[in-house]
Amino acid sequence: MSTERNEPREPDDAARADGASPEGAVPEPAGTATTPTAGATTGGPGPAAPAGPERAESPLAKARMSKADKIDRLAQLTAQRTTSSGDSLWVAAFRRLRSSKMAIIGAVIIAVFVVLAIIGPWIAPYSPTAQTWRGEVFSNRGIFVGPRAENWLGLDNLGRDQLSRLLVGARQTLLVGVVATVIGFVVGALIGGLSGAALALGGRTGQRIDTVIMRFIDMMLALPSLLLAVSIAAVMGQSLTTVMIAVGVVQIPIFARLLRGSMLAQANADYVLAARSLGVRRRRIVLAHVLPNSLGPVIVQCTLVLATAIIEAAALSFLGLGNLDAAQPEWGVMLAQAQRFFDAAPMLAVYPALGIIITALGFTLLGEAMREALDPKLRS
Amino acid sequence: MLRLIVRRLLQLVPTLLGLSVLLFLWLRMLPGGPASARLGERATEADRIAMESALGLDKPLWDQYFIFLRDLLTLDLGVSTRTGRPVWEEFTQRFPATVELGVTAILIAVVVGVPLGYLAARHRGGWMDVGAVSGSLIGICIPVFFLAFILKEIFAVGLGWFPTGSRLTTGINATEVTGFHTLDGILTGEFDATGDALWHLVLPGIALASIPLAVITRMTRASVLEVLQEDYVRTAESKGLHQRVVRLRHVMRNALLPVITAIGLLTGSLLSGAVLTESIFSWGGIGSFIRDAIDGRDYPVLTNFILIIALVYVLINLLVDLAYSLIDPRVRVH
Repeated sequence: MSTERNEPREPDDAARADGASPEGAVPEPAGTATTPTAGATTGGPGPAAPAGPERAESPLAKARMSKADKIDRLAQLTAQRTTSSGDSLWVAAFRRLRSSKMAIIGAVIIAVFVVLAIIGPWIAPYSPTAQTWRGEVFSNRGIFVGPRAENWLGLDNLGRDQLSRLLVGARQTLLVGVVATVIGFVVGALIGGLSGAALALGGRTGQRIDTVIMRFIDMMLALPSLLLAVSIAAVMGQSLTTVMIAVGVVQIPIFARLLRGSMLAQANADYVLAARSLGVRRRRIVLAHVLPNSLGPVIVQCTLVLATAIIEAAALSFLGLGNLDAAQPEWGVMLAQAQRFFDAAPMLAVYPALGIIITALGFTLLGEAMREALDPKLRS
Repeated sequence: MLRLIVRRLLQLVPTLLGLSVLLFLWLRMLPGGPASARLGERATEADRIAMESALGLDKPLWDQYFIFLRDLLTLDLGVSTRTGRPVWEEFTQRFPATVELGVTAILIAVVVGVPLGYLAARHRGGWMDVGAVSGSLIGICIPVFFLAFILKEIFAVGLGWFPTGSRLTTGINATEVTGFHTLDGILTGEFDATGDALWHLVLPGIALASIPLAVITRMTRASVLEVLQEDYVRTAESKGLHQRVVRLRHVMRNALLPVITAIGLLTGSLLSGAVLTESIFSWGGIGSFIRDAIDGRDYPVLTNFILIIALVYVLINLLVDLAYSLIDPRVRVH
């Protein structure tokens, strides 16, 4: 379980990271010669783009610039993320994303889901805990009330309106997914960023720090994620918070490894070399250039992890560790509970399952489309 | 090569030691303990204390840890506090079941996923591609436990084509040799046992294969797409090499490299999936046993099982790395 294990994967990470890196950030003497107005059109954050002649200065002349000038110039160079079409990388990626059917379907699904999560509890016709006792609703007799005018999706085993529970549940499900992802992202990115920065800042100490951190991450990766989640849930007792933390913690090593790999790939990029030759301090290179450029794949991962988080939360519920508070129905818990009555009322399980699958699909579609849009290899 | 293996095995030692410390501390953080889990809620405080001292849990934590380490070095994994049987016995009895299921799932995933991914890449944008990509996306998004459940309800409960659970039909004559029922049948000549074991493997195998299948299909597709654009493929084609030679020796050999890595990394997720699949098909593997061990706070079982699983995971990934450098001369790791 050494760092070599993932080496075969790193070219891939590197490639993805490259996608996130500004193509135009490669110092571009050619670009300056052929498109002298590139700086003006893209409007980098630096001072007004210098005119043509000045930009054609010799490297020696550049070396005489003051430090502040150098940094500004570097900022300018990195800001000119020009592609052949003259757009910044992110604009180009966004354009590709917009023309991707996958992305549109994914975005629509997510939008519907988010809207449901926000307004669900208000438009739900009944309270999620209100029970309709009409004699026929006794699950132990195996009789369930199917769809009817008052309850469009029927009643569940305790006589509660299924549609209302689904609507209210959308919010809980989204909450679990988002919070778990945020936990995984923040902690994972901190650890991975620290490790990557230590390595990129060089020195034997940096390497040692990186090795220690990565050993720890490898240990976490070697544990079956679900067992880790189950044991966390066992420590903290059953609640929605527990599920969020358990699912989030499992994602930490993935985020950490991803960001570190991505930073490593960026550390070898030409623009880092350029910055170093301009005399920019290492710390500044790492914080201001390498780190932001490495975040692309991590952000993509966030979208994908949202899908995983929702599914893993459902798995925890299936194992009996979900949030049992009836007033906070969550799709995973609903699915897990409905499986017991599958023979009598299969639809009770199918609705929340479809909800989970479609929502996860939405996030996965968008995530995959984002990854493709940022991947230079797949650019047509 | 040998030096690499030795070095990697040596690197294992601190990792596993670290993991054992973490596990040790972590398990003690779980509320309750083996004694109260076994005695139940109505046990008196005196009973609990007596039991804890019998289990050696009244000693200081570091003493417990060093006793555990000493036992580990003499290959004594202790006794389960829940079942009272030796941990090693519990493990060897269940491990083959999980391995058999996991291997089946990976085989299904590779046998279906690689050709599917290849065809999808070959006919990019065609119906096959769209089908493979959307199929694999859906495969990732279906909760494993729900897929397992639905498969069981439809094909086992409803249609009766497959058994609803367990590894063998009761009453079938099967001699245990290795614990792998499919293998045992072949070794002892009891082919009906092998057939029966395979028949039992179908549904859980498919359920567990869903995620690896999706991952492998997509990885194969992406990597074939990439390789097809390489110059050497064009060169091979323009040299007039037979299509099949180009496909197998040039495209597939290169395209499968990332897929092999993925298989190694998938073993971890297989175990998680196994916890769910095993409990639905009452499989009797280590997945469901660990789940029960957590509830019973079975420290010896949990520590040792998880350590062995981590070891297996690491070893598989080491094997993958070695296979990798055998296949691809460019990545000989030093």
